[in-house]
Amino acid sequence: MQYPNLDSVNVEGAPAQAVKRDGQAGKSRTLWGDALKRLKKNKLAMFAIVWILLIVVIAVTADLWVPQTLGDPTASDTATMASSSRLAPSLEHPFGTDTLGRDVLSRVIYGARISLTVGIVATGISTAIGLVMGALAAYYGGIWDAIIMRLADTFLAFPYTLFVIAMIAVMGDGIQNVFIAIGILGWPSIARVFRSAILSVKESDYIDAARSMGASDIRIIARHIFPNSVASIVVYATMNIGGAILTEAALSFLGLGVIPPDPSWGTLIQEGQKFLQTEPWLMILPGLAILTTVLAFTLLGDGLRDALDVKMKDA
Amino acid sequence: MLRYILKRILQFIPVFLGVTLILFIMQNVVPGDPIKLIAGEKKMDPQTEMNIRAAHGLIVTDENGNIVFDENGDTIETPLVSRYFNYLGNLLQGDLGTSYQKGRDVRDMIFEAYPYTVQIALVAIVLEAIVGVGAGIISAIKRYSFWDILVTLTTSMLVAMPAFWLGLLLQLFFGIWLKDATGGAFALPVSGVPGPHPQFPGWMYYILPAITLAAVSTAYTARIMRSQLVEVMNQDYIRTAKAKGLSKRSIIFHHALKNALIPVVTYIGMDFGAMLAGAILTETVFNWPGIGQQTYVAITQRDWPIVMGSITVIVVVVMIINLIVDVSYAFLDPRIRLGNKSEK
Repeated sequence: MQYPNLDSVNVEGAPAQAVKRDGQAGKSRTLWGDALKRLKKNKLAMFAIVWILLIVVIAVTADLWVPQTLGDPTASDTATMASSSRLAPSLEHPFGTDTLGRDVLSRVIYGARISLTVGIVATGISTAIGLVMGALAAYYGGIWDAIIMRLADTFLAFPYTLFVIAMIAVMGDGIQNVFIAIGILGWPSIARVFRSAILSVKESDYIDAARSMGASDIRIIARHIFPNSVASIVVYATMNIGGAILTEAALSFLGLGVIPPDPSWGTLIQEGQKFLQTEPWLMILPGLAILTTVLAFTLLGDGLRDALDVKMKDA
Repeated sequence: MLRYILKRILQFIPVFLGVTLILFIMQNVVPGDPIKLIAGEKKMDPQTEMNIRAAHGLIVTDENGNIVFDENGDTIETPLVSRYFNYLGNLLQGDLGTSYQKGRDVRDMIFEAYPYTVQIALVAIVLEAIVGVGAGIISAIKRYSFWDILVTLTTSMLVAMPAFWLGLLLQLFFGIWLKDATGGAFALPVSGVPGPHPQFPGWMYYILPAITLAAVSTAYTARIMRSQLVEVMNQDYIRTAKAKGLSKRSIIFHHALKNALIPVVTYIGMDFGAMLAGAILTETVFNWPGIGQQTYVAITQRDWPIVMGSITVIVVVVMIINLIVDVSYAFLDPRIRLGNKSEK
């Protein structure tokens, strides 16, 4: 722990601030209210939020305007295909067109749907499994702890990408299997975070108090322990979304995951790779979409970590 | 210390059994008959098919290797449990089985592919250590300067980009644009390993794949180095050194760096383990015949002996590297007592 920078402590101003703070006691002085206030001051995090919201809005409303203005993301018009194939970026096609004459921006926008859904659903699955496993391990300890933590070690011992690919081989192609595979394989880290969070508060007096009042295990975990560790889980999950998006991109790049002609950012890069020499933007632009989106989730995670004052070992 | 190492090795056993068991279960629930896949579209002669199954221990044979039939004249599938124990038994004798598709000894195939993975990992780890530590130190010493901001921005971007995309960008810059810009006089090889008559000097083939493989972890190394050095520089003993009138250079290199480097060295060590697990994407983009690509191709072909063998070897290698890292951590930092209960 470091001492705060002495310059920032204004000794004379301190009592005045204290009074002011007391005066505000009636307003929202919750963990989340405070965090939001701090988050708003973090320009990078706010920028990230704006970017994420923008992508979400574009992806959600895509059906309403994208096919009409830019062109259908999947269907290609065989009559005009020869003349509209692999056009350079222009006003009409800001990202150019692919080899089948489909608008690349339209495909990138529809790809955003896949990436965002994978990021959120897969993280949801990992978090759900991780919370249950972490709670079982920490709260019941002993043999439960040993079994679950050895299982987590086993999952972490696997080479990650190979494990995901093998899972998809087992379950078959298709985007929903990508959600599940990434989701299932992500639980050990969340379980570890939640487990150590529980262990650090489990012996507190207020937990003893709740137990002595007859609260059940589930109630203690859900009402007393969970709220105390939710901050670190939120931060972890936010950062995890970016990781899941990257994994999905890698899988689609290898040709696993979405089934053509559906677009995914990884698939677009794979398609563009063939024209690296002549039309490099086909590969560059979808990659920029991944980069900016993952960066936004990372910056948001960083911002939340600072705002919620979560101490993290790494990440 | 010795007790700690023994304890860790004992912990390997359940993880190792778990890994082989999970792989084994996967192999048996995966759709598609791998033996039928060998012939591809063509139909296989039933006798040949039976012999292949017998050779891989998938159906029951007697001690002379003759196929055993039941009363209906059908072959008998080897029960799963005995196949698993056969696999473990063979594994302990160093026998990893034979590839379904290629009919070759899996051990030979791994011995062929692994050196490529190790070579590229070695180049990448040296790159990561030099660039990552260097950038981290500059960033920490000149905090909030132009260089610090540059390092912070670059590392954030590297962490957020798909490594395979970076690989493609490098191919574009150094393989295509640079060649065009210099009129074909200079370019870097973008694919494959140096063959018997390489077009470029052999070492050049390592540059782009190694940069791609090292990129993300170099960014992490720089970040950890920066935050560690900043933290150490705020400690009392550094202030004492300053008060003694030592030069900034001497303080950083003789006092601060020694302590700040410990977590960095650990990270780099762990990362080396991760690189030895094979980098499917880097290997795919650069057509590098390492263990990652070989295993990936084997998964798509349902060639389970290769998948099982490679992943088992990878897991063991990674576990050993991680153990070495943890033990060397205790040597580097005498404050750490391994095996002490209060530690974990």
